[in-house]
Amino acid sequence: MTRLLVILILWLMLPILVENVVYHHINNSLLEKKKKFIEHLNQEEINDFIENQDDSTQTFSEFSTLHSEFLVLSKMPIKPHQKKTTFTNEYRKIENEESEYRILQHHFTYEGQDYQLEIGSSLSEVNDLTFVIKLFIIIVFVVILFITFLADTFYIEYLLKPFYKIIDTKIRRVNEPEMFDHTPIKAASRDFRELDFVLNQMMDRIAEVFKKEKQFISNVSHELLTPIALLKNKLENLLQNESLDDNAVDKIAGSLKTLDMLKKIINNLLLISRIDNNQYELNEEINLREIVSDLQEDLQDRIDDKEIQFQNRMQNTFVFTGNKTLIHILIYNLVTNAIKYNKPQGKIIVEDGYDDNHYFILVKDSGIGMDESQLEKIFSRFTRISYDQEGQGLGLAIAKSIASFHHIEITVESELGEGTSFKLRFQNHN
Amino acid sequence: MNVLIVEDNKELAVEVYDFLCNAGYICKIANSCADALEEFGSNDYDAMLLDLGLPDGDGFEVLQTIRKTKSKIAVIVLTARGELDDRINGLHLGADDYLTKPFALTELGARLFAVIRRIHGFTLNNLSIHGFLLQLQDYKVSFNETPLSLTKKEFDIFQYLVLNKNRVITRLQLTEHIWGDILEVNSDSNFIDVHVRNLRKKLDKHTSIDWFETVRNVGYRINE
Repeated sequence: MTRLLVILILWLMLPILVENVVYHHINNSLLEKKKKFIEHLNQEEINDFIENQDDSTQTFSEFSTLHSEFLVLSKMPIKPHQKKTTFTNEYRKIENEESEYRILQHHFTYEGQDYQLEIGSSLSEVNDLTFVIKLFIIIVFVVILFITFLADTFYIEYLLKPFYKIIDTKIRRVNEPEMFDHTPIKAASRDFRELDFVLNQMMDRIAEVFKKEKQFISNVSHELLTPIALLKNKLENLLQNESLDDNAVDKIAGSLKTLDMLKKIINNLLLISRIDNNQYELNEEINLREIVSDLQEDLQDRIDDKEIQFQNRMQNTFVFTGNKTLIHILIYNLVTNAIKYNKPQGKIIVEDGYDDNHYFILVKDSGIGMDESQLEKIFSRFTRISYDQEGQGLGLAIAKSIASFHHIEITVESELGEGTSFKLRFQNHN
Repeated sequence: MNVLIVEDNKELAVEVYDFLCNAGYICKIANSCADALEEFGSNDYDAMLLDLGLPDGDGFEVLQTIRKTKSKIAVIVLTARGELDDRINGLHLGADDYLTKPFALTELGARLFAVIRRIHGFTLNNLSIHGFLLQLQDYKVSFNETPLSLTKKEFDIFQYLVLNKNRVITRLQLTEHIWGDILEVNSDSNFIDVHVRNLRKKLDKHTSIDWFETVRNVGYRINE
C-alpha cells in the first residue's frame, strides 16, 4: 500500500522534475552560446549583422538549418529596471514553421548603443525526449512494483517461515505446558532462533509453575481429605454404640452432615481449581442427549418430589469432544439449579437447536427467577440466589469454569417470578 | 480372606482394620510402599486396599509391581479426588475399584465384598435375612420362594443394609451408595426415605419387619 503511494507521488512529481532538469540544461547551453557571442563581438560584426539586413528593423537573424536554433540581434533601448537576462518559452514562427522555443533574452550596451540579443533553442525534440523518459520511467516503476510484490509473497514468506512456525507449534497449539515441543525451530536468521530459545525458556518456567500447582492441589486434596475420612469413620463407628442417648446420636448425625458438607466444598474448590489449571483432558466423545437422559434418571426422585414436569425436547444428536465427567457435572448443575429454584408443580424444559450454525442447548425453568443485580453475580463463587436455600453457591461457578474450559459460551436470561433459562452455545468445529 | 491395608495415616488404617476385622476379614496394615511389597513377599493376600499418596512413592507403583506377579488379587484404590488426575479410570491401571476419600467404612465393606465376589467367584452369591433371599447375581429377592419385585434402587438399599446388618446406616451413607459421590452440597438426603418406605412396604406384605429399624433423624438399621 505504502509502496503504491510512494510510486504515485513520484510519478506525479516526475514531469516537474524532468522539466526542471531539461530547462536547466538548455539554459546552460544558451548561456554558453550567449557568452561566446558576446566575447567575439565587435562593432564591425554588429554592423555586419545588422546592416546586411533589413535596415528598417535593424535586426539580424540567423537560423540553424533545421530550425532547431536561432539567434536574433536587434537594436533596442534598454528600459529601466529591466532584467539583463531572462528565459522564456515562446512559440515562434520561423520560415512558416511554428514551434516552441526556449529563448534567452539578453540586453546589453555596446559602444553607447543598446542591443537586445535573443538566442532560441527548439523544444520540440526535448518534448519528445521527456515523453520517452516518462514512458520509460513508468515501465521501470511497473517492473519494480511487480518485483517487490513477488519479493513480498515469496521471499518474505520464506524469511518469515520460522516465525509462523514458532507461532503455530509453540504458541497456538500449546494447551499443556508439559506437552510443549522443545525441538528448536530451524531458522536462517538469528532473531528467530533467539525468539525460539526465549520461548522455550519461558515455557519451561511455566511448566515448572504448572507442575508445582498440580502437586500442590494433589497434596491439599490428600492432606485435607484423609483427616476428614478418619473423622467420618470414627463418627460412624461411634454411632453404632448402643449406649448413646438420642441427644448424642443427633449431635453425631449433625457432625456427619457438616463433615459431608466440608468434604463437598473441598472437592468443589479442588474441581474448580483443577479445571482452571487445565488438569483435565478433552478427549472423550460426548453425546449430549445421552447425558441429559442419564441425568433425568438420576434426578427423577427430586423432580418427583417437587412434582415438576421435566420435558426433554432435544431433537438433534450433537456429538463433540470433551471431558465427559465435566460435561456431566455442568449439565447436572444447571438442571439441579432449575429444580432447586423451581416452584412446586413447575416445569423444566431442555431444548436444543442451531443458531448461526452454532449448536445450543437451553435449560429453562419456570422458577422464581432473578433480577438484574442477582444475574450479574450469578457465576461468581459463593453467591446464592436466595438464602432460604441450602447450598454453597458453587454450582454455577463450576458450570462457568467447565463451560469456558470447553470453549462453550454460557449465558443466562431471567425474569423475576417467571423463570430462568441457561443457554450453552457450542463452537462450530468437531 | 486376607486383606492388606496400605495406608500411611496410621489412625485411618486402624479404623479400617477394626471395621474389616469385625466383618470377618483377616487384615494386616502396611504404612509405605516398601512395607506393602514386603508383605506381599511373605503372605498371600486376596485383597488390597491401596492409598495412593504414600510417603515413599506412588501407590500405583506398588500396584503395577504386584499385578506383574499376582493377577487374582482384588485391589481397591483409596484416594482423594484431586490425586487421581485424569486417571479417574485408575481402573485402567489395574485397580478393580476405587473409592474417594472420605469414604464410609460400610461403603468400603460393600465394595470389597462385591470385588472379591467378582474376582474369586465365591459362593457368596446369595444373602439371606429373616427368610428373604437376595440373589446378588441377578438382583432378585424372594421370600420363601415367592419372588418380590423391587426396583434397582430398592434392591441396592436392601443389599447394602443387609451387608452391614446390625449397623446404623445414615441417610448420607445410603445416598452416596445409591447416587454416588455427588459434588452438590445441597443433596438433602431425604429422597432416600421415599425408596426405603417403598421397600419396607413391599417387605411388610410378606412378614413382620420389626427388624428393619428406623433410627430417628439418622438413618436405618437391619438387625439379624
